[in-house]
Amino acid sequence: MSKFRLAEAFSAASDEWELLPFRFERFSPERVLVTNMVGEHLFLTGREFDDFMGRRLPNDSPLVRRLRAKHVIRQPNEQLPLDLLALKTRTRYRRLPMFTGLHIFVVSLRCEHSCPYCQVSRQSEDKASFDMSEETARRALDAVFRSPSSQIKIEFQGGEPLLNFQLIKDIVAEAKLRNLEEGRNLGFVIATNLALLDDEVLDFCGENDIYLSTSLDGPADLHNRNRPRPGNDSWERAVAGIRRVRETLGADRVSALMTTTERSLDRVTDIVDCYLEQGLREIFLRPLSPYGFAIKTKSFAAYDADRWLAFYEEGLEYILELNRRGLDVTEIFAAIILKKMLTNDDPGYVDLTSPSGIGIGALVYNYDGDVYASDEGRMLAEMRDTTFLLGNLHENSWEELILSPALLEPLEQSFTLSAPMCNECAFEPYCGADPVYHQATSGDYLGRKPVSSFCRRNMHIFKLLLERYESDPFAREIFLGWAGR
Amino acid sequence: MIERDVSFDATAYSADAIQRAAYRFSDRLSLDLQRVNGNYVCTLRLKDDLADQANDVLADFRNEVLDQTLRERIRSETEGVRNVILALAFSNTGLTEPSE
Repeated sequence: MSKFRLAEAFSAASDEWELLPFRFERFSPERVLVTNMVGEHLFLTGREFDDFMGRRLPNDSPLVRRLRAKHVIRQPNEQLPLDLLALKTRTRYRRLPMFTGLHIFVVSLRCEHSCPYCQVSRQSEDKASFDMSEETARRALDAVFRSPSSQIKIEFQGGEPLLNFQLIKDIVAEAKLRNLEEGRNLGFVIATNLALLDDEVLDFCGENDIYLSTSLDGPADLHNRNRPRPGNDSWERAVAGIRRVRETLGADRVSALMTTTERSLDRVTDIVDCYLEQGLREIFLRPLSPYGFAIKTKSFAAYDADRWLAFYEEGLEYILELNRRGLDVTEIFAAIILKKMLTNDDPGYVDLTSPSGIGIGALVYNYDGDVYASDEGRMLAEMRDTTFLLGNLHENSWEELILSPALLEPLEQSFTLSAPMCNECAFEPYCGADPVYHQATSGDYLGRKPVSSFCRRNMHIFKLLLERYESDPFAREIFLGWAGR
Repeated sequence: MIERDVSFDATAYSADAIQRAAYRFSDRLSLDLQRVNGNYVCTLRLKDDLADQANDVLADFRNEVLDQTLRERIRSETEGVRNVILALAFSNTGLTEPSE
């Protein structure tokens, strides 16, 4: 008996085919994007699309094979595409039952920087008023271990969290002690400007496997104008800190995030070069968030979505060019989206998940015991909008916090599979519900997508990445690598 | 404000498809929808700064109504199978409580 079946065995058993759920978007009259239920994509010409929708495709046409391979159509009663789509759907949502994995402890609001766009920090020596107490920290840890997630990451934020380093040490010790019984996969991150980094902090991070996340906005002049501090040496301290952490703890133990301001917009290649000079090969070209002092000082209004998109495109092109020259550099926003586009996994990035990542992806325990559904929700509260305040650790039980209308209503109302325009959008599997962004910019959880800069920005980037993936074999290789990280 | 009327045969187009199209265009125009003698009559009001492009915007709007009609067809033809896929996907997650 032959081990191989004849080619006919693999051809369609029937002349009939029927539609599976799919969505489409016209890039132009001649180019139509089709995405299946889990976001796998193919492009059709306008003519092909018309023939497909008019059911004028002969059964042996290559296009029918392509559509069938991408689970856009199936033969009647064919079960395999349904099983595969179900498996892929389950994979995409696999994080949901785990619930909250990231727990942000705001151990102090105090900061020695005075950045104009900072949403939350306080210039104060008043420890009692702006530092988290031990009792609040204990209650926050109670909440952390009520989450069913097997992966728990505790991130210390501020203000500048190292101004309350003793509490960080206490929380790490207590969390590790409790975890002896809990057995979770427990990790720690300190989000710090590194200005106060010293041997004690470094030793502690080394002993406890703590990662450091810092801010680096680009070259010294740009960074120091963005981040004023006494001595005007924020950049020098950050760069020295990055070097020390890399040398002492290892190159992978520190990462940096940039904040984009209007002054950044024509400096993207300088910014990327600055990261490379520090040995950092991952760059997250972030938009400025519409929260807190950023909007008060008009930093947010100072540039619109189109200017930021031009900045992003130039940065992406430059990073691709660096890769072409043999440097392994990754743009993180693209990498997150490409993972959603080209694999069935979802990296769980809070701004690009639906249901929204608020609460489900992250919880924030503020210094005073207030609990927010996301870090941006905390920033919004600084603008006197407490929409995303779930309650207080000293007054509310875990059940009350998690079942708070302040969490459930935005989750339900912003869900993209029922949101107007999102539910029919071919990019929906790549995008997310961001109720906090829309609350900040339009005063409701949903926003009107045709005028939402969140929607405009994301659609533009999705199109850009898909076009590059389809048209440039080198970019395609790089993108596949980023998606598989 | 530039005002134009566009009509669609109610036997070929649904109010839902027209409304969905208008929503997508809500950065450029607003819609009043009325049913008159078997037609949907859309009174579209465009912003003044679109005066030069009014014909193009209206043509795009008409095409969008066509696309929304296709989307409606896809949704209705695939609703059953979509529910089967979702049921398959989430039947084994432990998220559902056993019925008493």
